[in-house]
Amino acid sequence: MPLRFHWSLSQAGDKSRGTRPRSEMSGLLDFEAQVDFCRAAAASGIESVLMAFGFYRPDPMILSTALAARTERIKFMVAVRPGVLSPTAFVQQVNTVSALTAGRICVNVVTGNSPQELHYYGIFLEHDQRYERADEFLAVCRAFWERGEAVSFSGKYYTIKDGKLNTPFVAGDRPAPEIFLGGNSEAAEQLAIRHAHCLWRFADTPANLRERVPPIIAKGVEVGLLVSILARPTREEALKDAYGMVETLSARPQRVGKEFAQKTDSVAYRATYELAEKSETDWLTPCLWAGAIPHLGSAAIALVGTPEEIASAIMDYKAAGISQFLFLSWPAFSRPDIEEVTYFGCEILPLIRQKEREADAAAYQVSPMGVI
Amino acid sequence: MTRDALDPPGASDPAAKPAKFHWRLPYGGETSGGTWAHKFSTEDGMPDLQAQTEFCRRAEACGIDSLLTDFGYGKPDPMLLAATLGRATEKIKFILAYRSGLFSPTMFVQQLNTLSALIQGRLSLNIVAGYSPQEQHAYGDFLSHDERYERTEEFLAICRALWKPDGEVNFKGKYYQIEKGALKSRFVSSERAWPEIFVGGGSAQAQRLALKQGDCWMRLPDAPEKMRESVAAVLTGGVEVGLRLAIIARPTRREALEAAYAMTEGRERDREFVRASVRNMDSISFKAMFELSEAGAEWLTPSLWTGAARAYGPAAIALLGGPEEIAEAILEYKRLGVTQFIISGWPKLEQMVYFGEAILPAIREKERAAV
Repeated sequence: MPLRFHWSLSQAGDKSRGTRPRSEMSGLLDFEAQVDFCRAAAASGIESVLMAFGFYRPDPMILSTALAARTERIKFMVAVRPGVLSPTAFVQQVNTVSALTAGRICVNVVTGNSPQELHYYGIFLEHDQRYERADEFLAVCRAFWERGEAVSFSGKYYTIKDGKLNTPFVAGDRPAPEIFLGGNSEAAEQLAIRHAHCLWRFADTPANLRERVPPIIAKGVEVGLLVSILARPTREEALKDAYGMVETLSARPQRVGKEFAQKTDSVAYRATYELAEKSETDWLTPCLWAGAIPHLGSAAIALVGTPEEIASAIMDYKAAGISQFLFLSWPAFSRPDIEEVTYFGCEILPLIRQKEREADAAAYQVSPMGVI
Repeated sequence: MTRDALDPPGASDPAAKPAKFHWRLPYGGETSGGTWAHKFSTEDGMPDLQAQTEFCRRAEACGIDSLLTDFGYGKPDPMLLAATLGRATEKIKFILAYRSGLFSPTMFVQQLNTLSALIQGRLSLNIVAGYSPQEQHAYGDFLSHDERYERTEEFLAICRALWKPDGEVNFKGKYYQIEKGALKSRFVSSERAWPEIFVGGGSAQAQRLALKQGDCWMRLPDAPEKMRESVAAVLTGGVEVGLRLAIIARPTRREALEAAYAMTEGRERDREFVRASVRNMDSISFKAMFELSEAGAEWLTPSLWTGAARAYGPAAIALLGGPEEIAEAILEYKRLGVTQFIISGWPKLEQMVYFGEAILPAIREKERAAV
């Protein structure tokens, strides 16, 4: 299967993303810049844009609906935190978006990574209880999407009696939205296996992933990588931009990444942060760079290099079982998201497709001998 | 939590301001008939963007202020529908109907604030505590009528605190706990710092809730003299009063009566459906209204008719007659202090257009004459 690619819309148009503490970020929109980004992403082979959830952001469901009215192809991967709304109301919203956008919505379930922020929303559960509740939440949602009998559910966190919705999930190709789920903990893995189509992980070395990915795939769940990207025509330019970014960030008093890592109860955020801390160099592989993590947090683990280097690195991940990628870019330091995504579409994606064709051809030749 | 400095000065003389007229937005599958039994079909669950956008534009042209966008399990989500319709229109506002208990108040405010930025603040809220326990159960809500009001009060108190210009929100109630709540997205509007809040419901709890947390108390109409006391009490509290009603207007009273009887004739199946639905409700005013119409008290005044409620549900209590008669009836409510009206009519589009052409000018004329 060809690899699938997604990109974080995040605050496209907000040049300060990731450079300031979250409490100082603006919730305001640059709607036109986001429309432009969505169109450029679709033209660059990106299937969907991640619409993140957080108190410092606009609401992803509403924003997706408005962006969809101005775009034609791009899908919206809408983040949801179980616990901030009734599962019935959530399914009603997802189905409404699907009906308004010809099915251009998928769901990214996040259980929350900052206890403080969860308190803003009235959520006071511990890490493992949040996963327990997410399990019930998704069970209810999926029952609605099965569209059989009225939905009744009796659990520890939710009780639903004779639930019905008249707005169906509308998409040409599927009866329910694709469900993505982020997390590195055992609880996240189990939850993904029960309910999701794809589990997001922060990037790690292919060697580490080769151990952890196959057991998940064996349970019928895809594994995707969440990774930042900085691609330039030459390695020198890529390194110059990467190191230049760290230099700019070092001049700032605040270590957003470090502070966040101390407060979070997310296993994924802490694990990636520690991976970066323990490593003797900033380079976990020749292409996988952890140098920005102390400044920007775990999601700043990045593929850095030339199109050829990054395409090869992506193929190594594919060989380790990874089938989808969710990219973030750094508009504040190097170049706007829209340029990074366009560069990916023009220079990197064709190389990947070429390598995939070659790999398929090779597999076809050896498979009759039972090598695969 | 008490009312605070965010509140506008109370409407000192409600009769001096022009009344505001809102209309109910028809749902995708609603034909001109639009009975309750039909409302629960899957066609209604699907938005019909072409027809609904057209309805919004016609409403703008008719002098309608806002369109009521219902909430219920039979329909698409109101604010997502408004996000799409609002970006295709310029003036019309949306009164989004919601209930407490479905969302975290913080998340709810975040959604509304985001929507406000996308449609220039053209939204207000119609908060109801819910009228059907069965429907609440479908959303995972198992509280009783009175508890739902208690929770709605906490819900609105938190929402209003989040709409204050700055500062963090801390709240510890029976139903919600919020610690250092903050949102970066603000309510964006050139007119207000938070959306206008309509609180619907005829019970004493609803009235109290409107006084504590609302901008306008919405109720079903009754004969004006029977409403005088409750309207005055709410106005004294600095809160507006609005009516949720229908109109059956035709060029002459006789034509209106014929239309009304034609509309309700042979609707036995719908009547059974409404009867069963109302039996399962715990809304005090809906039940009372319905019982009046079932008991044969069809005419509460010469122009206020409950007959349609039996086939179309309690909100179908209607002012019936020619344009002059309906304009005069509305003015009579206005003289009591009622300043807002949310209306439905049949056929849906034609009746709104007729209201804009024939009735609204008569109302404005009378309003000018009264000043």
